[in-house]
Amino acid sequence: MSEASNSVKYSTSEDVDFVIVGSGSAGGIIAKELSTAGYSVVVLEQGPHLKAADFTHDEWGVKYNFDLEWDWRKGHPQTRRRTENEEAVVGDSSLRYAHNVGGGSVHFSGNFWRLREIDFIEASVRGPIAGTNFVDWPITYAELEPYYTKVDWEIGLSGLQGPWDPPRSRDYPCAPMPVKSSGVLLERAAKKLGYTAYPAPVAILSEPHNDRPACIHCGLCNGYGCEVNAKSSTMVTMIPLALASGNCELRTGCTVSKINLDESGRANEVVYWEQDGTESAQRCKAVVLSANGAETPRLLLLSESARHPDGLANSSGMVGKNLMFNGYSQAIGLFDEPVHAYKSIPATRVVHDFWELDQSLGFYGGGGIDSRHPFGGNLISTALSGGMFGGANWGAEYKESLQHLFTHSCSFDGHTTSLPLSTNNVTLDPTVKDVWGRPAIRVTYNEHPDDLATMRFFLDRSLELMDAAGATQMEGFFDENSPWTQHLLGTCRMGNDPETSVVDRYNRSHDIPNLFMCDGSSMVSSSRGQPTITIMALAFRAADLIIQSARRGEI
Amino acid sequence: MKQQRMSRRAFLNAGGDAAKGSCIILTMPMILAACDQANDARMKNSDFQLLSEEEVLEYSAISARIIPSNDTPGATEAGVIYFIDTVFAHNREGEHQIFKEGLATLQSEGAAQFGVASFYLLNEEQQDQLLRQIESSEFFNTIRFLTVAGMFSSPEYGGNRDKVGFELLGFTDQHAWQPPFGFYDADFAEKGE
Repeated sequence: MSEASNSVKYSTSEDVDFVIVGSGSAGGIIAKELSTAGYSVVVLEQGPHLKAADFTHDEWGVKYNFDLEWDWRKGHPQTRRRTENEEAVVGDSSLRYAHNVGGGSVHFSGNFWRLREIDFIEASVRGPIAGTNFVDWPITYAELEPYYTKVDWEIGLSGLQGPWDPPRSRDYPCAPMPVKSSGVLLERAAKKLGYTAYPAPVAILSEPHNDRPACIHCGLCNGYGCEVNAKSSTMVTMIPLALASGNCELRTGCTVSKINLDESGRANEVVYWEQDGTESAQRCKAVVLSANGAETPRLLLLSESARHPDGLANSSGMVGKNLMFNGYSQAIGLFDEPVHAYKSIPATRVVHDFWELDQSLGFYGGGGIDSRHPFGGNLISTALSGGMFGGANWGAEYKESLQHLFTHSCSFDGHTTSLPLSTNNVTLDPTVKDVWGRPAIRVTYNEHPDDLATMRFFLDRSLELMDAAGATQMEGFFDENSPWTQHLLGTCRMGNDPETSVVDRYNRSHDIPNLFMCDGSSMVSSSRGQPTITIMALAFRAADLIIQSARRGEI
Repeated sequence: MKQQRMSRRAFLNAGGDAAKGSCIILTMPMILAACDQANDARMKNSDFQLLSEEEVLEYSAISARIIPSNDTPGATEAGVIYFIDTVFAHNREGEHQIFKEGLATLQSEGAAQFGVASFYLLNEEQQDQLLRQIESSEFFNTIRFLTVAGMFSSPEYGGNRDKVGFELLGFTDQHAWQPPFGFYDADFAEKGE
């Protein structure tokens, strides 16, 4: 399935209906929807088209040499600073993302938590938060629900409706994944403390679905590609359908440099470099940017012109702003008996009792807690943490400490909100260039105090749960200055007001009528730490609305 | 309640790598510089691609103190030195140079304190004493990282021979699993919770 290849080739000088930039969680879906609806589509993807046979359990390659990521080792440096008063410095990429067909959906953990009704109206329910851009979404849960259900069935999810989950129009297609020992420890601890743990909804198949097989519980989802196609990436679910439509040409190794406009101000050409450096330009009737929350705003900023001196689609000045990382905290515990959390999918149980923190706490936040292998089932990462409970970190004592750290440990991980701030953003670095000579992505990011308070709150709950679970030793931390994220959110936010948002409620640019942006950048709020299902639902919805507009001749 | 709360930085200092995987970069930037990873890295048993005979003896001796051989195999049996050779032999000339300077500093300390410049010729007590003095140095962090990575990475990179690293961690190198996965889910099923 994933090995489908192009069945159509378009000339760059002929107008195709749509050019889609990016083939990831959003781009893959939009490509499939538009092409199967009969529109001609060219997808431009920076990375290669990998397949299941290309993926391995090679931790040294994947985790320490970033084989599957697109970053400075491949000529794409990023700079980072905390505030605009500092000079940003080159370091390891803060915004980490895939470079392959299917994007991050190829190596995500597949935790698919729908947003709830409250997420869309939270600002008006609890009131504004001074100094932030915390606002309601322009759409509601009810409007997005049919598209969440499309994600469930077309992408392929396993789960069980939880006690406080928002209403759904259809059950999950696949039963929950079997519970692991780490899930049992969380569930028993939650019961003791009066909370509720229930099966984690995941984009990984517990049983065959849509001609794909069930998970074999190999254990390495997070950061790795699935070797049996049981993980529901767009690489295996959407791209093959797009290619089979006969209307979609997927061009890999192609890096987009600029969107050009015609005299009337409409996007009519996408300029890009092929793998070998040849510059090409694809003519088109409309453009969809699904390049991710880092690359989509960068591309708009790079597409500045005399008519759009601050970048394309940026009359609001909001392109690149409101970057949200999602907060993260982790409690790690050791147990008497084998947990073997390195087997099967990362998380099989979640606690969602803390979706909305009580306002009386004095800070905004919310999230969920799940249970995992503390080191992602990775051996080197585990061993590097030997001695973490206070012993030596080399020598015989260290070696002794390793004997249970991999097999008898478990973590309770907090995944939490981030507030949208103008001061957290993606801009173009004034001096550092990438391999193509373009300004590098410059990340300015400093957690809002409420985001830190939320992480601390979740760490405290995780430690209490860990204690209730019977851990013999435990430790915990959260990021006071998050070094990096794979959640690239908020940088072309959706909204009704062209003065304060980049795309409208249909993911259409307020400024350029035939330019659409749909990916993590569209997010108005950060989600409770698991944004991908919402990015995918937005993509199904945007595609639906694009098709309706196109049929009415309104693009 | 047995509770501690640490900042990420404190956690890293105590533990090394944490859950988000890449934290290692924060403490060991030199190792993760430009990397053209080695598909052709399968090591022959006795040939070294890059390391000199002296380096082989010295790094092997240091690695053996980091993960010693006792009732179970250590860095020596795992062939960690071959992994180290593989890593430096692939486009890391600059880092190798820095690493060698770190070794030279250690050797001069050994000469000053024990009158013996070669680390591998010192006794274990002297070796540990020297290493404790440089625990926070970039050189030590790097060789600790490489020793651990060599011990537990895929054997294709030259270390983890006979999968002795996997065995030490209790990891069975098996590609598919079925429930029950561990003690607690077996117990959960048995009790019908």
